[in-house]
Amino acid sequence: MSGPSLWWIDWSLHRGPMRRETAGRFLLCFLAALYFLAMLLSGGVNRFLSGQYTISAILHVGVPDDEGTGIAGKVAALPPVLEAKYQDPEQAWAEFLAAYPGLESLRGEGENPLPGYVEVRLRPGWMTDEGIAEVRSALEPVSQVEKILTGGDVMRNLLRMKRWANALLWSGFALVCVVFLAFLVMQEKARATRLLPEVSFLASRGVPEGQIASMRTAGAVVAGGFVALLATGLACAALFLAARHLPLVRVTVGSAEELLDAKILLPACLFLLGAAMLQGLASLAGWRATIPKGR
Amino acid sequence: MIEAFRVGAVSRGRTLWEGVDLAAGTGELWVVAGPPSSGKTLLLHILRGERRPDSGDVVVDGESLYRGSPEHNRRFRALSGVVPELLPAEPGKTLEELFLLSALALGGLTDGERNARMGDLLSLVGLSGAENVEVSSLSVSERARAAFAVELFRSPRYLFLDMFLASAGREWADRMGALLRALAREEKTILMMERRLPDEWQAQKASSPLSAGPFTLYRVAAPPRAPKEKGRERQSQASPVSDSAEG
Repeated sequence: MSGPSLWWIDWSLHRGPMRRETAGRFLLCFLAALYFLAMLLSGGVNRFLSGQYTISAILHVGVPDDEGTGIAGKVAALPPVLEAKYQDPEQAWAEFLAAYPGLESLRGEGENPLPGYVEVRLRPGWMTDEGIAEVRSALEPVSQVEKILTGGDVMRNLLRMKRWANALLWSGFALVCVVFLAFLVMQEKARATRLLPEVSFLASRGVPEGQIASMRTAGAVVAGGFVALLATGLACAALFLAARHLPLVRVTVGSAEELLDAKILLPACLFLLGAAMLQGLASLAGWRATIPKGR
Repeated sequence: MIEAFRVGAVSRGRTLWEGVDLAAGTGELWVVAGPPSSGKTLLLHILRGERRPDSGDVVVDGESLYRGSPEHNRRFRALSGVVPELLPAEPGKTLEELFLLSALALGGLTDGERNARMGDLLSLVGLSGAENVEVSSLSVSERARAAFAVELFRSPRYLFLDMFLASAGREWADRMGALLRALAREEKTILMMERRLPDEWQAQKASSPLSAGPFTLYRVAAPPRAPKEKGRERQSQASPVSDSAEG
């Protein structure tokens, strides 16, 4: 069984307050991790918008179904495209009647006046002017395509609002981080103040204050990393369950399976590292503010 | 060896004393007796390397604590223990936590070793089973003995005790005195600050008292010497202490 170490001096000497403070720290870390992961998965409002918005490429009347399907397949291979689906003229007519019931008389002598079309859904991350322009430029040279519907000015305004909404959501995350940091520094100052008599005891028995500070900081990084890991794990589990049971979460945030994607995993690891380093730095800042160098 | 050369101290613009000389060698137990507010605690801090004297110097093992390297000063403090006049008692702080702190200063001890050693030391100072007792609930005597046990935990080579016998009380003075002499025989250097030498110790002191500043210095225990060195002892007995300029 190992003995006490300067790495865990706070835990060795003030276990009760440390437990309470770590619970508070864990809660804030969990909220920050949940917010961050939700933002990574959803891209802000990108996922919601990509679920609501489609680009429609209207084909000429008489284009065969296999050509329409072929065009949809080619469009689906474009990087911004999440899904491209060909709707034949009969499906188009059924959709039209569902939207405008009682207009069956428009189909005179059994002929379908509507052409087929390709419905294109963009990836959440490509819900931008550039993404739309890339799909448009790929479809424009296709001779079978008569018209491309991308939303025009309404879409431009919507994208502008999307940028503002995303900036607002990321600002919210920054605010959570600032609150977390302020909370950390306050906690660390209180810890250092609480530790003053013990530091004084150790220093007068030949233990250098610099050694206490550095080992304590290293301990704070390790303990902070552990807290962040647990909090992030719990946030992942919470997102997983919420996405499974709440359709609204699935539509706005996305499916929790995507958490295993490298695009999410890498930033999540950086978040863990950042949270651990932040806690170490806060520990050092609290120490320096309370116990000046060369005291 | 701890040597003080012409040490002087000024407090609140007043010269407390100056020209204090002292030389405490290995295995020696010294009592520095002085009236209240004479600066005994201040002298203890100066001798421990914690407060630079206003004049003179303190040398340990041939190197100055104040003019030498900071590392020498730190090493000396690591090798020395100090029992304060009154052990500070934060609310809720137990004796076990004090030993834990001492273990942190020492380093490299397992929990099992710490617990065994803590139990032995507490029983040595008459506080068996008091590990989980709050320091604030202890009497002055118990606090002094507890502080002593906490310092012994690190087996310091040098031991500084401030008003220890007075705080421990008459009924514990003999037992603690015997313990201190035993420690001196184990080659510890012990310096005690007291108002006066206990009556029971008068007969046991090794040399006649000498004054330095407002202090009277007693050497209570000296290391055992080889027979051929005994002749030289008489000469060296007076040498560690000299009269102060003020005295």
